[in-house]
Amino acid sequence: MAPPDAQGGRAVHVTHEDVRRLCEFIYRRTGMLFDDSKRYYIDRRIAERIAATGSESFQAYFAALRSDARQEIEHLVNAFTVNETYFYREEHQLRCMTSHLLDDLLLRKQSGESLRIWSIPCSTGEEPYSIAIWLMENWSEVDRHNIEIVASDIDTRAMKAAAEGIYGARALMRLSPSLVDRYFVRLGDGQFQIDPGLRESIQFTHVNLVDLRQMATYRDFDIIFCRNVLIYFDDASRRIAAESLFDCLQPGGYICLGHSETMSRISPLFDVRRFPDAIVYQRPETLHDRS
Amino acid sequence: MTGADMVQRKTRGRILVVDDSSLVRLYCCDVLERAGFEVDQAINGLEAMEKVLAQTFDLVIVDVNMPRMDGMSFIRALRGNDSPVASLPSLIVTTEASQQDRDDARAAGANFYLVKPVSEADLVRHVAVLAGLPS
Amino acid sequence: MPFIKRETAGQADAATAAAEAPQLAALQDFDPDVRWSAARKLGGVAAAVPALAHALKVEQNPRVREAVMTALMRVGDEASVRVLLPYLHSQDAAQRSAAIEALQALPEVVSPFMTALLDDADSDVRILATELVRNMPAGEATRVLGDLLERELQPNVCAAAVDVLAEVGTPEALPALRACAERFRDTPFLPFAIATAVARISSAG
Repeated sequence: MAPPDAQGGRAVHVTHEDVRRLCEFIYRRTGMLFDDSKRYYIDRRIAERIAATGSESFQAYFAALRSDARQEIEHLVNAFTVNETYFYREEHQLRCMTSHLLDDLLLRKQSGESLRIWSIPCSTGEEPYSIAIWLMENWSEVDRHNIEIVASDIDTRAMKAAAEGIYGARALMRLSPSLVDRYFVRLGDGQFQIDPGLRESIQFTHVNLVDLRQMATYRDFDIIFCRNVLIYFDDASRRIAAESLFDCLQPGGYICLGHSETMSRISPLFDVRRFPDAIVYQRPETLHDRS
Repeated sequence: MTGADMVQRKTRGRILVVDDSSLVRLYCCDVLERAGFEVDQAINGLEAMEKVLAQTFDLVIVDVNMPRMDGMSFIRALRGNDSPVASLPSLIVTTEASQQDRDDARAAGANFYLVKPVSEADLVRHVAVLAGLPS
Repeated sequence: MPFIKRETAGQADAATAAAEAPQLAALQDFDPDVRWSAARKLGGVAAAVPALAHALKVEQNPRVREAVMTALMRVGDEASVRVLLPYLHSQDAAQRSAAIEALQALPEVVSPFMTALLDDADSDVRILATELVRNMPAGEATRVLGDLLERELQPNVCAAAVDVLAEVGTPEALPALRACAERFRDTPFLPFAIATAVARISSAG
């Protein structure tokens, strides 16, 4: 008989074997390993989700999880990760971009050819603006090249917010005061807005990653940031989206995934490249066999 | 926890076990950890590639049949890599039915093969030898 | 500011791309980029299945092969499954794994073929087939794998079935699992695997 929980209701009983079953499922599906040493934390998160879904037993919850009913996989994973979006999140990828990727990409470019960077999904804009600000602050070559930044999302409301570029202080927590002064206008009521010049230099578009016709019109990108979305698609959609993204890249172009994501769960098309700051994935320079 | 407990126990080697089956990985981890090795896991050749590039291992054990990147393709990619991982010792695990797989394994550059199901004794003995190989 | 805004992303060539009829012949082009593009454009086109099937027979480039299999997966009908199934018998591990990937995305269409696959003379095919059971509903998966465990003589096939049951299995699987453990009690690994699966399935809650 399940013991009553703190609120006096009946808590669902979850055994160690139940947890291992669930962790193995999540590991297989997403590549995320929920470490046995954090047992207590894992148990708490699972209990939260069981309660949130109104599941009567672990079996019922696990069945819902396996079928990804109402995006439960995403909800469970979100319970384990820090969800908030802010500027300079995953700074190590930005550092990898300026320390290694751009030099490599420029080797294959004609002079005067633009560098094209795509943030998809861009959500409320923290990512594309972070890319722009980081480039200006950290890339010595930044004024010698044309850089096109495209930012896209399936959610039009998020996109509109991104184009507007207004943020609270919390989103700026990783930025030094001098950066904030340089790129933001201080509005009243503790809000900040991205400098109009910067706002206007980014192209915001509406895109569905799984829509092949839409995706086919995006071409020749040097770097794509596609974080924390592919891993929540079903197998078929992941595969299709990955192939589209491959096509959206220039040969030799790079794609960066979210911190806990891995191409090993998504697609075999890309080459894995290890840099000191990050693991990124690369479209090969040619489809032709070199062997 | 005492200071002695916190000092990392000396390990006989770091092993990466690559198999689609969670129970196979669990078994290998269990057997090899009891034999004094440190073990990490991966579910297919792609994940294995990421791990060997990011961390140091003394041996990688790969199953032939894995989705997304099979064991054979992984060994070839390993040997073809432009970095120290190219000489990482590798043990490929095949099923009885495939002489072809064993020939392919040798051709791809695996150091040795074992046939499933692998006994504890065989696993430990081969790992001990191969993990000690200079790489 | 070095950033330029072209307003071209998302607008270029949408009309042209749509109007351009994918050439089935392009699937046979000597240039892998052309074959790749053709495969992508033919995805979901049921009439292209025979051409895709032929392309798969001769395609050497693993990425193009992947795109051809995706194209078949997107058609997702019985004809495309029938094209993919024989690759489970391939001597090439990469082809087997690519075929399984595509088939895993089509559980309903694959379902009528499961009995034959789990009965295949080749034990490697039976092993691959157990992976396809993972996407079935728990009750059906349990029934199908329970049946397999009762008659299967190859320990590696049993091991593959046990792995899937450890995730999906219901208590109905317990008798077959215990009988299997008994039958293979002197082999390495399988008794351990079955004990783990039994512990997970029996777990209260």
